[in-house]
Amino acid sequence: MKTRPDGGVAVDHQAPDFPSEPTPRSTFTKEYWAATRERRLLVQYSAETERFQFFPQPISQGGARRDLQWREVEPVGELFAYTVTHLAQGAFRGSVPYVVATVTLDVGVRMISNLVDCPAERIVIGMRVRGTWLPLSDGTHLLQFRPDETVAEVAS
Amino acid sequence: MALHDSVIAGYAETPIVVGGTHDLFEMHADLTEDLLTGAGVDKAEVDGLVMASSLTGTPTPFWAQSVAEMLGLEVDFLDQVQLGGCGPVGAVARAAMAIDAGLCEIVLLLNADRASLSMDTWTDMSFGPEWVHPYGQMGTPGAFGLLSSRYDHEYGLDLEALGKLAVTQRGHAMLNKKACAKLRTPITVEDYLNSRMISEPIRLLDCVMPCDGGNGLLMMSRRAARRKGLEKFVVPIGYAERTNHNGSDPLPDVTDTGHRIAGAKALAQAGLAVSEIKSFHPYDDFLLAIMLQLEMFGFCGKGEGAQFISKTDFRFDGDLPLNTGGGQISAGQVGAAGGGTNLVEAVRQLFDDGGARQVRDTSNALVTGIGWIGYGRNWCTSAALVLTPDR
Repeated sequence: MKTRPDGGVAVDHQAPDFPSEPTPRSTFTKEYWAATRERRLLVQYSAETERFQFFPQPISQGGARRDLQWREVEPVGELFAYTVTHLAQGAFRGSVPYVVATVTLDVGVRMISNLVDCPAERIVIGMRVRGTWLPLSDGTHLLQFRPDETVAEVAS
Repeated sequence: MALHDSVIAGYAETPIVVGGTHDLFEMHADLTEDLLTGAGVDKAEVDGLVMASSLTGTPTPFWAQSVAEMLGLEVDFLDQVQLGGCGPVGAVARAAMAIDAGLCEIVLLLNADRASLSMDTWTDMSFGPEWVHPYGQMGTPGAFGLLSSRYDHEYGLDLEALGKLAVTQRGHAMLNKKACAKLRTPITVEDYLNSRMISEPIRLLDCVMPCDGGNGLLMMSRRAARRKGLEKFVVPIGYAERTNHNGSDPLPDVTDTGHRIAGAKALAQAGLAVSEIKSFHPYDDFLLAIMLQLEMFGFCGKGEGAQFISKTDFRFDGDLPLNTGGGQISAGQVGAAGGGTNLVEAVRQLFDDGGARQVRDTSNALVTGIGWIGYGRNWCTSAALVLTPDR
């Protein structure tokens, strides 16, 4: 950015104290949430269009068929966009500042999620990220992301 | 028969306020009285009613019917246009379609909301509760924070340019007595830059303030306008909308919006090049949305919005008058009726009723809509409406 007179605000949390109550879920996403009990990520795949799609939807997004497959994929990818939340609503009020991010998974879909365990000054779009699972009260997990320490940092 | 065989014969707008004393029905009554007495139309002549969404009104699925009953309107065509911020401009096209189809001839278009009371009156039946809310995205500012971040990565986000838009629109609100009193104080680019961070890089002065108010139009067939002896009216000469643009692409370009498609289509229908547009009234929920629309409509190239903003005078008497009533950002956002604020301002200008902020060239105006937010891209519906006066 050309101008950021306030210099931005450091995010020093390790993992924000997020609400652990699950939110309402659709009838066609049971497989996704069931797999998160074992910290596994399932993404829908449409054989009709030979494409993955996310969020889970009730029909192929590029086609008309409902015979979607659930495929297990590695929760790894790169940071596509992020926003540091300074003003939050409801149960998130006590967690600010925290980072909401869009991640491009390597299989070719984007997810809205959180970036955790990463100070604001280290956040770079394009950085490699890896999934981390936040336990929810019903035994399922919420997929968040953190910097992928299994890859060497790109020299700047 | 075509879009331009229907005309806009009148406009009305309530003051935009915080914590207003009029409920929705009373606002609709105010608008109806102004529209009908202004055009000399008897209520019994009105045979159509088209209403946009209302955060505080449409939790009842019987909203338009409730309003018809409350206002004593007996109509042959009734519609409720659920397009979020595109509702009021979408209503113009739908009223024209109904007139064109012979379903009705004289139509009231009414929009009102009381967003200063509550923004949480509606139920989110979408991907939101399952795939966004668990991550604490701060509503629409959060979505625009993500979009701004990506725009910054691809093109560089020039905050000075965005600040110039904020200052220009605020200057226009200063000349608009109907704009929210709380917002009618001058601001500088520094005020914009230093305003409170909401969802970085979205600041407070990037955003709209939820307000109460309403706006409306009176439309009729050209034949009815002639029969009534109306000398002045505004004609829709181009309209297009696009919903869920790039929705089936798992890796879309998020800075590519439906206005690229809808804009080209509406301008072609109007027979105008974008360079011939005399005033621009884009839906402004965020400053970034204005810049993206300048790019998507082709006022400038993609990623060149800031350069275009820096060299263009957007004041009412400048090169390309922009949201001459202050836009929603500086006049206040009347909830889901807010899509009518810039629309009514454009109609007012083409009627030469702009007063202290009257634009010089009233040969046409381009009005837009932005409706709802899609998953991880930009907004869901993009609308474009080209207007011209016919005297």
